Amino acid sequence: MARIIVVTSGKGGVGKTTSSAAIGLGLALKGNKVVLIDFDIGLRNLDLIMGCERRVVYDFVNVINGEATLNQALIKDKRVSSLSVLPASQTRDKDALTKENVGKVLEELGKTFDFIICDSPAGIEAGAMMALYYADEAIVTTNPEVSSVRDSDRILGMLASRSRRAELGLEPIKEHLLLTRYSPKRVADGEMLSVEDVEDILSIPLLGVIPESQAVLKASNAGEPVILDTESDAGQAYQDVIDRLLGDTVDFRFLQTEKKSIFSRIFGG
Amino acid sequence: MDGADNFRETLFMAFTSIEFKGTSFTLSVLQLKSVKLADVRADLTKKIAQAPDFFHLVPLVVSIEKINDSLDYQAVKLLVEELNFTFVGFTGTVDKAQRQLIRELGFSFINTAKALTGKALTGKALTSKANVAKNTGEKSMFTDKATVATQTPIAAPDSGAQKVSTPQVALFTDKIHRGPIRSGQQVYAKGQNLVVIGSVSAGAEVIADGNIHVYGSLRGRAIAGAQGHHQAKIYCQNLQAELVSINGNYWLSESMEEHWDSPAYINLTDSELTSSKLI
Repeated sequence: MARIIVVTSGKGGVGKTTSSAAIGLGLALKGNKVVLIDFDIGLRNLDLIMGCERRVVYDFVNVINGEATLNQALIKDKRVSSLSVLPASQTRDKDALTKENVGKVLEELGKTFDFIICDSPAGIEAGAMMALYYADEAIVTTNPEVSSVRDSDRILGMLASRSRRAELGLEPIKEHLLLTRYSPKRVADGEMLSVEDVEDILSIPLLGVIPESQAVLKASNAGEPVILDTESDAGQAYQDVIDRLLGDTVDFRFLQTEKKSIFSRIFGG
Repeated sequence: MDGADNFRETLFMAFTSIEFKGTSFTLSVLQLKSVKLADVRADLTKKIAQAPDFFHLVPLVVSIEKINDSLDYQAVKLLVEELNFTFVGFTGTVDKAQRQLIRELGFSFINTAKALTGKALTGKALTSKANVAKNTGEKSMFTDKATVATQTPIAAPDSGAQKVSTPQVALFTDKIHRGPIRSGQQVYAKGQNLVVIGSVSAGAEVIADGNIHVYGSLRGRAIAGAQGHHQAKIYCQNLQAELVSINGNYWLSESMEEHWDSPAYINLTDSELTSSKLI
């Protein structure tokens, strides 16, 4: 049985697509068969972050309308063969998706893949609802900032009431908190909510804390998901997320301000 | 034991299959502001259209408090029954002759607790409720409803009221919600207390006709005694609410400084909310 995981947040710009790409690639690097689906119809981004934007021929909406088969639309990743991307359509809007036809596509994908990662659009409208409807698990991407936390809280309410699992009275969607753009220094200065603050408000298990990092922007522009940058703290933090998703217990890193080394203290680095 | 008690005892002992008891209920009261029944019908129909299920077969007492002109009582009864209410009787502070007239027509006349003590209804609860509705900008059904029908706990019917001591305790059962109530969610315990085992997030709303208990942090809105229960209280393990309201009297977070971020409960004394340390 494929695990259907939605990466969602309510608020835009918090790192849903970056996280989807990193997590999808990370799971595939561990030998899992993974498909990444871009649910942001009309605002296609995942292909850019994955670096496959020049290979998009058919898209999700073409498949739904029967204009292409799944195999025609899926783009196989050049770095890891067990990873595929199903791009969004840039020319349509979110009404192109319905519960029935999305369900059919997911069922079909579930026959081949171990993980189906649904990259949700921002908001709480039809597009976001469609992305979370069939999910078994949800990665709620949140920035340590009050408005993002409130929007995450809202989407958690939706997960508990508007999903297929909620409608059928099945076991609820497993919720994970992914805190992104975390800056221990700003937390220490009292400018940013701490991990504990966010956990207290949302009260769901913490999956990972991704530190604010220059590497993320660089990776996005290069179309190389940041998890490939094993030198960077963000890349390592995503690696820990993968291990936790696969059932390992890993200590949280990058929660404290780094102790300055003797050199940087002397040279003011 | 005096003679009257003796008499009552023998009276009730004689019937084992039935027993008379005095108790109090919360009933909807329709406040008539006009004797033009065509207008009343039009307004009432509009109101019902907003929430048909809510009003269907609701027991209704018609208050003639504000009516000075003569009124066709029979027509009023037929009108509310036609609109699918269950007609109970008339109420209001009126003179003895008018009360007598109503009884002679074959209708119950119900004295409110306030009318019994000779105090006129102030309509205060009504205006404060309307204020909340305006201030919060919400279209909650019951706050909205307060503009046509205030709900008043009534004592037992006129004749027996002085003799039978009626317990004034409102008996609410509990609605229990397990898990957090998230931003944007609304939970209403109609005719019940609400017990939340979990936190109420900012932007969420919990409402009960009775008390509200939150075993967690209260960060959203809590509205207790929503249909006019003065004794309702709000308890929480951590008070960080956006708004608390009891029987239409409300506080915004700025009024909660004293017990902010600590276990507290809110109750209503006269028309003032007060907060107290919980533990």
